[in-house]
Amino acid sequence: MSATRFAAAGAALLALAGVASAAVRPGKLRGFDIDAFGHLPVLDGGRVKPIDSLARNSLLVIRGRQGLVFEGRSVSADEWLLEVVFRHEVADRQPIFVIDDPDVLGLVGLGQTAERHFSFQVLAPHLEEIQRQAHSARAIDGKLRTRFQAAIAILFDRLVLYWKLRNTVQLAGQGTLEAEIQARNEPEAVQRQESLAQLAAFRPVPPPEGGDQWLSVGEALRAARGAPPDPALTPLTRLASAWDAQDAAGFNRAVADLRSAIGARQREALGRADSECFFNRVQPFYAGMVIYLLALLTLFASWLWKRELLQSAAFGLLGAGVLVHTAGLVARILLQGRPPVTNLYSSAVFVGWCAVVLGIVLERMYRRGFVTAIAAAVGFASLIIAHHLSADGDTMEMMRAVLDSNFWLATHVVTITIGYGGTFLAGALAIGYTLRKQLAPRIDPAATRTLVSMTYGILCFALFFSFVGTVLGGIWADQSWGRFWGWDPKENGALLIVLWNALILHARWGGYVRERGIMTMAIFGNVVTSLSWFGVNMLGIGLHSYGFIESAFWALAAFIASQLLLMGLCTLPRRFWKGAAAAEVAAQAAATQP
Amino acid sequence: MERRLWDALTSLKLTIVCLVLLMVLVVACTLAQVDRGTFGAVHTYIRSILVWHRFPGTSTAIPVFPGGALVGLVLTANLVAAQWKRLERSRRKLGIWLAHAGLVLLFAGEFVTGLVQVDMQMSIEQGQTRDFVESPREMELVLVDVTDPGRDDVHSIPESLLAQGGLVEVPGTPVVLDVKLFFRNAELAVRGPDDPEPLANRGLGATVAVNPLPPVAKDDQVDSRAAFVEPIAGGRKYGVWLVSNALGEPQNFIHEGRTYALSMRPLREHLPYAITLKKFSHDVYPGTDIPKNFSSLVHLANPSRGEERDVLIFMNQPLRYAGKTFYQASFGKDDTLSVLQVVKNPGWLLPYLSCALVAAGLFVHFAISLGRALRKRTLPAEAR
Repeated sequence: MSATRFAAAGAALLALAGVASAAVRPGKLRGFDIDAFGHLPVLDGGRVKPIDSLARNSLLVIRGRQGLVFEGRSVSADEWLLEVVFRHEVADRQPIFVIDDPDVLGLVGLGQTAERHFSFQVLAPHLEEIQRQAHSARAIDGKLRTRFQAAIAILFDRLVLYWKLRNTVQLAGQGTLEAEIQARNEPEAVQRQESLAQLAAFRPVPPPEGGDQWLSVGEALRAARGAPPDPALTPLTRLASAWDAQDAAGFNRAVADLRSAIGARQREALGRADSECFFNRVQPFYAGMVIYLLALLTLFASWLWKRELLQSAAFGLLGAGVLVHTAGLVARILLQGRPPVTNLYSSAVFVGWCAVVLGIVLERMYRRGFVTAIAAAVGFASLIIAHHLSADGDTMEMMRAVLDSNFWLATHVVTITIGYGGTFLAGALAIGYTLRKQLAPRIDPAATRTLVSMTYGILCFALFFSFVGTVLGGIWADQSWGRFWGWDPKENGALLIVLWNALILHARWGGYVRERGIMTMAIFGNVVTSLSWFGVNMLGIGLHSYGFIESAFWALAAFIASQLLLMGLCTLPRRFWKGAAAAEVAAQAAATQP
Repeated sequence: MERRLWDALTSLKLTIVCLVLLMVLVVACTLAQVDRGTFGAVHTYIRSILVWHRFPGTSTAIPVFPGGALVGLVLTANLVAAQWKRLERSRRKLGIWLAHAGLVLLFAGEFVTGLVQVDMQMSIEQGQTRDFVESPREMELVLVDVTDPGRDDVHSIPESLLAQGGLVEVPGTPVVLDVKLFFRNAELAVRGPDDPEPLANRGLGATVAVNPLPPVAKDDQVDSRAAFVEPIAGGRKYGVWLVSNALGEPQNFIHEGRTYALSMRPLREHLPYAITLKKFSHDVYPGTDIPKNFSSLVHLANPSRGEERDVLIFMNQPLRYAGKTFYQASFGKDDTLSVLQVVKNPGWLLPYLSCALVAAGLFVHFAISLGRALRKRTLPAEAR
């Protein structure tokens, strides 16, 4: 008994230690304190964030990853941004633009080779042509674009982002920031200041205490015409020249001075930026994803070897995963000052969290082992979906006017997302039931009954939350748009989940479906929920359509096809089941006798 | 027979059939919105007794599916009847009673909304005062006696009368309008050399070609009504005029020294109070175009109640006043014009009540069931 407890605690501690090791601050690179540079706050997308977040999100948007390998060495996002902003001649050689589309490759005169990553230098001669093609693609509605048009529009957006970053602090190839400050009063400087203000990708000059209008370098220079320059520009100038000269000591001093210059005006921003950097480094949702996967694999192993011990270890890992997952959610809530669900990305994180927590409760109640597997699988799946959804950039973007209501985000959005989570968990339990019937060599009928009653309980839970969440959404709509129910696609999607869950429960109460019927219907709940969650965004209409994702369409189609297949497996008559031991059939027959 | 009907009405099978039909309708309504807009799709599938299929190119249509209103009514009847017949009136079933009562209230709310909700708009520029609201869809033909510069005498003719055609008396004036033609939707264009002779012989209509169009489907478009009318007064005919909401300025004619202006405009409802827009604000997050908030600071003046006060209307914070609710809906003219959505829905409170009832009901019911399940689970363990 104590061996199993020891296994659970040991596995959990090991996993948490692994996460903690990621939290350690990286050392200096060739003497440069790049990490300290990443901690500096700037304004971007309407929110004050550390440069580290800006760099990671920009590189993620451009390259699809938060780092790159250049000249045989891995380069962090912060270091990459330093090169882009202060030494564009180095950054221009780094292969960061991904081109997969053969027609786009042809357009820029590159054949289809194994290499898919290209540097700005390679693309620079074709910028005009790319821009021309992208503009004509833009004129076409997003859903009607051909593959080439979609690809060229995306490539152009990435080039624009890169171009803006490159010209935020100093105009690339047109002199240093120091020279720009010297020449700020000259008539020909007006044009350059205008360009700097317009191209600025972020705003590094902090406002005086209490203000929120951070300035771009161009705006700060414009304000300094005929006046002394903003003192915060001085350390930025030194930072630029120190990085250009690769002078580590000067660089570190400039970073420290810039930090204190910002701290003198926006003390709070420093603390928040430090916390966010910590969050970025730990990547709790990524770590959670890995731990859930380990839990799942450990549980699979337990079916072959040392059953009790490994099952406990898997449960321990699941616990560690949910701890990290919860910590990540709490950190996001604190950093953003908002309830846990604010966009599609965070809804995926939260759906998974709800399902895993419910799964852990069920496992503690029934102690059957297989719920650990199901919960870990759902947690892993939802975090991997979130991981893919995060590729659009900042996941803590500001809330548009009508959504800017913590009260309704906390009530309607959270409730409905719990409803999604419950419906998915019921579907996952039903999938577990199906796979078990198909694969397991022998089946314990008591375990089957437990699985069925768990699914029923979770369906009741899901009906409650999806109904309350849907009606709360109606009330929010009544508060903000003047109608309770407008048959908007997202509202209809939520209504479908409610109707489907109600349908399953009524069919069960009427005795029209039994074990297999309920389970098949529960799997279809996954289809209904996924369509309501992602499908309606693809229709591109209504007040809720905030994120159309093209590649997601095929992922969704594949998911639905897999669910339909599983439903088919679930409805197969008993004689096709591998695990249909005669004893179990008899037990079932006895159990269904009135 | 009666017995069997009662059995059918109270059966759980009927519930399930209705739920399935409702799901099909909701899916159809959602998909149809891509082409027809929300208003059209809801009209076809949800707020209808039957869903009709019209054969393309003909005017024949056959019913192909029960509509949302019919399914909703049957489901409600089924719910009430089944509840009455089958469910025991005990504390154990309290949750189900509450939840189902809440559902009936929710359906009732949707019916009330469908029947009585009136959506209007108020477009108001900074500094302007408005004492009326306008319909976003319906139009009216108005004949205004503008002789006295200090006072307009407005006479309204609703669209339904125009659609009937023929002679329409305008009460309170000596004028009778002869409605020669009326189009629900039409395209107005400058008359080219090849266009046929216009029906209108006075005013702007003489230079305009009118092409009838089918009514629009999209939510953000408005039909351009067009009508040819001839005012007749004191036995004199004042020529045929084209009136349309696409025309803009009113057109005048003079009868016995009094000037009358003819125009087609959005249907108005006058309010016994006035609203003045003092300031419209459109806030964005610093350094971006992402809207943070829209708000209208208005002054509300109601002399009959002696009320004079300022109100700030912003997102998620409407003004509820005298049975109407004013919401911040849109803006324009370089952030100096604010558009308020004005809704009258006497049933607005029903969903709030129903939500509370159903939530409480489901909670009680599932809590009782869970308690029972847990007791069952622990009993054998104790026996062991």
